[in-house]
Amino acid sequence: MTARPCDPKAEELSLALAVSGLRAGYGRGGDIVCGIDLAQTAESIVAVIGPNGSGKSSFIKTIAGLVPTRAGTVAVTGRDITTLSPARRVASGLAYVPQEANIFATLTIAENLKLATEFLRGRAGVGPEQREKVLDLFPELRQRPRTLAGNLSGGQRQMLAFACALLANPEVLLLDEPSAGLSPKIVGETMEAVVRVREAGVTVLLVEQNVAAALGIADEVVVLVAGRLTLRASAADIRQADLAGLFFGKAA
Amino acid sequence: MALQLFLNGLVTGLLLALPALALTLVFGILRFANFAVGALLTLGAYAAYTANVVLGLPLPIAAAFAAGTVALASLIADALVFERLRTRGSITLLVASMGVSLVVENICRFIFGNAARSFDLAVARPMRWNGLRINHEQLITAGVVIIALVLLHLLITASPLGRAMRAVADNASLAAVRGVERRTIARITFALTGALIGLAGVLAGLDRAIDPLMGWNYQIPIFAAAILGGLGSPIGAVAGALLIGVAEEMSALVLPVSFRQIVSFGVILLLLLFRANGLFGAKAIRK
Repeated sequence: MTARPCDPKAEELSLALAVSGLRAGYGRGGDIVCGIDLAQTAESIVAVIGPNGSGKSSFIKTIAGLVPTRAGTVAVTGRDITTLSPARRVASGLAYVPQEANIFATLTIAENLKLATEFLRGRAGVGPEQREKVLDLFPELRQRPRTLAGNLSGGQRQMLAFACALLANPEVLLLDEPSAGLSPKIVGETMEAVVRVREAGVTVLLVEQNVAAALGIADEVVVLVAGRLTLRASAADIRQADLAGLFFGKAA
Repeated sequence: MALQLFLNGLVTGLLLALPALALTLVFGILRFANFAVGALLTLGAYAAYTANVVLGLPLPIAAAFAAGTVALASLIADALVFERLRTRGSITLLVASMGVSLVVENICRFIFGNAARSFDLAVARPMRWNGLRINHEQLITAGVVIIALVLLHLLITASPLGRAMRAVADNASLAAVRGVERRTIARITFALTGALIGLAGVLAGLDRAIDPLMGWNYQIPIFAAAILGGLGSPIGAVAGALLIGVAEEMSALVLPVSFRQIVSFGVILLLLLFRANGLFGAKAIRK
């Protein structure tokens, strides 16, 4: 971790993502996300892990704006985005890659890439330069631009989804289970891609069911149980910890 | 005789193509079958009648006025009804659109009464070509619809707006996190499909008398065409409309003319029994 600045104001500004008191749920049901605070410094990778149904996916969807926020705030690089629509959040520097169906299957690769920035008027750093940078990270995408994205393999889809999210030149990238449905070899490649993304200067928050894969790349791990954060630790510390105890011991 | 019926069928099919396309676009992007399409078609015919006969404007301008009026009416229906019910599911929206249909139909009846009306158009002698009769209204209909279809095709396949529309139809929440505002796309879709239905209303008014129930003559064929083509598939809707148009007209060879509507009902019945996804509905992509 970087040294903490003394001035609290300066500290807030150096945070890429600041979530405080976040509550969310669906329809008229109870809260699924029950008051989460999470601060993340720039260019770090934080992994959210936890048992099935603990609200990990809902948490990340709430940050992206797809689940309505009931209370609390979300700020990206010090700017409050809680009231913005999902589309406006992207323009504010927050990109999100959903778990599955994260590409437009009925559009071609080229159309997917084009659409990723077409409606982001006013977002700084979006343009041909960013496009080159992103396509250098995922060189396969330059081939076969006219292929329908729906005909890509699982790993290729994931790369296309990452590329589309990165074309928006985000400060923060939210990944919902990037390893879901991929073979072990492709999981490794996907995790390497996440590290490359961070090296390109992006802050990454990922939800991951595959704890081993997440621990391999994350700086910090937070454990989510029943909609609440129960633990936050550096990835190095948690490697020795008893994960079963973390997951179930504190679940009321 | 058969060739003449085939030709008439193609023109009827082209007329059906615009509202069938409107129905399928709204279904693809907003996920509900808009039952108000017939009533909006009637509204389009009356709007053109107002501009053409009451205000004395030439028919092309009246047609533009009709397209604008129905586009506006669709936007109003969206703001007052459809957007408010968006999260309630497609059956609720379908039933709500039946309500909108009744309201629109009765507004027309309230203003114009039940008497049949027609455009102020000189009656012209049909052209003859190799024994076929082709009247001017048919030529106008074919020309207008083909131009509209080409423009719409370009819009959907090659413009940023078309890409956004296809993206929302494919995966609305993903489109949202790619920066596409669903709300904006929904409004544009309603305006665009409203204009198409309005235009079809004018063409229908060339073909038959304008009365408050005229939309019902098209309602079932429009649904049959869109379902036949696979709801949500624009090309399918056009192909379905041509097939339904030709089948309806050619049915005169074996059925009394007053039983024409059986054809559309029969097509819907057969599709429900054997191929619920329509002819073009089977996705080329494995998900």
